[in-house]
Amino acid sequence: MLTNYTISVFTTNTVGLLNRITIIFTRRRVNIESLTVSETERRGVSRFTIVIKHENREFVEKLVRQIRKVTDVLAVFGYLDDEIVFNEIALFKIATPLGGVPVDVKTINLDWNAKIVHFGLDYVVVEKNGSEADIQEFYTFLKKWEILEYVKSGRVAVGKTEKGLVEFLPEEGIWEIV
Amino acid sequence: MGQTQTQTEAANQPDQKKFLSGAQAIMQSLVEQGVDTIFGYPGGAIMPTYDALYDYQDRLKHILVRHEQGAGHAAQGYARMLNKAGVCLVTSGPGATNLITPIADAMLDSTPMVCIVGQVKANLLGTDAFQECDLIGISMPVTKWNYQVVDADEIPEIMAKAFYIAETGRPGPVLIDITRTAQTDLMTKPFEYIPCKSIISYKPRVEPKAEHVEAAAKIINGAKRPYILAGHGIIIAGAEKELNDFVDKTGIPVATTLLGMSSMDADHPLYVGWPGMHGNYGANVLTNSCDVLIAIGMRFDDRITGDLSTYAKQAKVVHIEIDPSEVDKNVKADAPVVGDAKAALRALLPLVNKANHSEWRAEFKKYDDEEYEKITKKDLFHEGDKIKMGEAVNLLSVKTKGEAVVVTDVGQHQMITNRYYRFKKRNSIVTSGGAGTMGFALPAAFGAKVAVPEREVVAVIGDGGFQMTLQELGTIAQSGLPVKIIILNNNFLGMVRQWQQLFFANRYSFVELQNPDFITIAKGFGIAGHTVSDRADLSNSLDTLLNSDKPYLLEIICEKEENVFPMVPAGGCVTSIRLE
Repeated sequence: MLTNYTISVFTTNTVGLLNRITIIFTRRRVNIESLTVSETERRGVSRFTIVIKHENREFVEKLVRQIRKVTDVLAVFGYLDDEIVFNEIALFKIATPLGGVPVDVKTINLDWNAKIVHFGLDYVVVEKNGSEADIQEFYTFLKKWEILEYVKSGRVAVGKTEKGLVEFLPEEGIWEIV
Repeated sequence: MGQTQTQTEAANQPDQKKFLSGAQAIMQSLVEQGVDTIFGYPGGAIMPTYDALYDYQDRLKHILVRHEQGAGHAAQGYARMLNKAGVCLVTSGPGATNLITPIADAMLDSTPMVCIVGQVKANLLGTDAFQECDLIGISMPVTKWNYQVVDADEIPEIMAKAFYIAETGRPGPVLIDITRTAQTDLMTKPFEYIPCKSIISYKPRVEPKAEHVEAAAKIINGAKRPYILAGHGIIIAGAEKELNDFVDKTGIPVATTLLGMSSMDADHPLYVGWPGMHGNYGANVLTNSCDVLIAIGMRFDDRITGDLSTYAKQAKVVHIEIDPSEVDKNVKADAPVVGDAKAALRALLPLVNKANHSEWRAEFKKYDDEEYEKITKKDLFHEGDKIKMGEAVNLLSVKTKGEAVVVTDVGQHQMITNRYYRFKKRNSIVTSGGAGTMGFALPAAFGAKVAVPEREVVAVIGDGGFQMTLQELGTIAQSGLPVKIIILNNNFLGMVRQWQQLFFANRYSFVELQNPDFITIAKGFGIAGHTVSDRADLSNSLDTLLNSDKPYLLEIICEKEENVFPMVPAGGCVTSIRLE
């Protein structure tokens, strides 16, 4: 059975590092479901959040060790879904032509916990946060309108441990807290 | 002198500026790093650096190769002998892509290398400029680290980092891509070279954790049939003495991997040969009979394990390895010890019990005897017309007293050399193991000779591989260094032919070679040589080769269709080893 694994990679901020990390997935023929790179609470430390699906935990552990081996990687953690709090964000551009079905703002807000973030002349942009499943469900609901564009971010995730993950970074770290 | 100076290229003139140019900073960094030898080939994008080198000739010996691949393999041979990074200097585009094969080879065989490659001017990056190639992209999967320099000020720090990464932990190749701009620009601050001592994101563990060592010792002390596989890590760590001490105390039989060979005296009573596809009979079969398998500085390559699902399943595995990503990668370790082989063996020695294991050791002997009857005897005391590779190598081993540095190429002759050369001295084998790069031996032997000119260096090469890099005869001739070259010529790509015979129903598909006259070729380069095809002349011929104080090429015409045995079929179980 395919299981979701979320791999958090902490790195120094180096040109080309993304490539070095994704090569490891390519070599082992693992498809990256989503990838997000962002800054962290420490200056100069970047965080890659990579989601993959795999049936073999041992395989993912080997992958994690190979990522750790990359010279500019500070730390790597692999998680199952129940070990993290995670979210995604999606934007939907919905057509609102004259005479069409009006967009039900109230339902969108209250029932779906989504919001309209932009009103165009003949379209609106709706933003929805949530898990992949939440967003998929919302997508189905929105299908009664014409969806002009749909885009979704990769997963962002934080661990459920008490301390922040940067606590596990090499001790000599002298990064200032942003 | 053919030095051309124009207004724009004059940055290396010392009196025209305050600070060093990037090119000078590269040279100064090399000097301060303690580098004394560079293997290289000039070209457009690296010319400013070559111009700076002109003023550093008294401190940096540059060896001009004939092809960048030759520079790479020579640097590997050099690095393997001295356990420090071999340095290459080449130009952008094709100059750098020609280095990729040696870099990939060095990556698989954990060989420290620092490759300095030119790159087009910074403003031309990404524009498909003349001789531009994305070397950072191309080299990424085959380097331990790479970096593109666009700012001259970065050079000292990046160079220091490059050597540190290449040489520490599990060694490997590093590529530094230096734009022409960074070479010609002047630094904006005084040059200062601070050797790199640590990198925040890169902390190779040298000293193993005490609890891991204790766990390993416990397993070893409980063993009745323990077996050691000693790999390249022993040689890299310089742990030969520690290995010997450990073995002498514990009485555990030792096999060495292809790259770990020569880490133990071939005549040591506990030495049982080598495991793997063409390794020894007992060394393979008994892997599946031991109760504890102690792997030191090796990575369970598929050429050693064959079918993983049947490999050493009965054994508890102690895996001493500096690269944590190798632990549990192929074979699950019951007691992993992450650390340097030398440090780990030192920590382990006082914790292990003295033992003898004489019954268990005798089992190896039984297999050895059978192998001797069925294979070795036939190889060494052969009565056919043609010389067999084994007898030639055996005679070489006797005549050099097992003390030469032996450099092999890839194929049948490589396996035969490792079977029959009896290594008596540490760090004496240079061969392309993981990558299996044909064409490796000639330049690598040259590099080894540059590193240890006082030692006899003999390259043993097949007729196929020799033709892949034979232009380096020019480099050897120009240096005058007495590299001894043996071609074991069977007019075939022998290993492929053997497989075609055994596994592809004798369908010889493009493996027979129409060879040139190798002696005439050598003469064309100014290297003496001769051919021997008669057994009666073999001994004298080897004497001529070994007694020459100049480079010399000896072509030995061998039996055409000789097969290398034992052989574990690819992906087969180690016990499915064939003796014929």
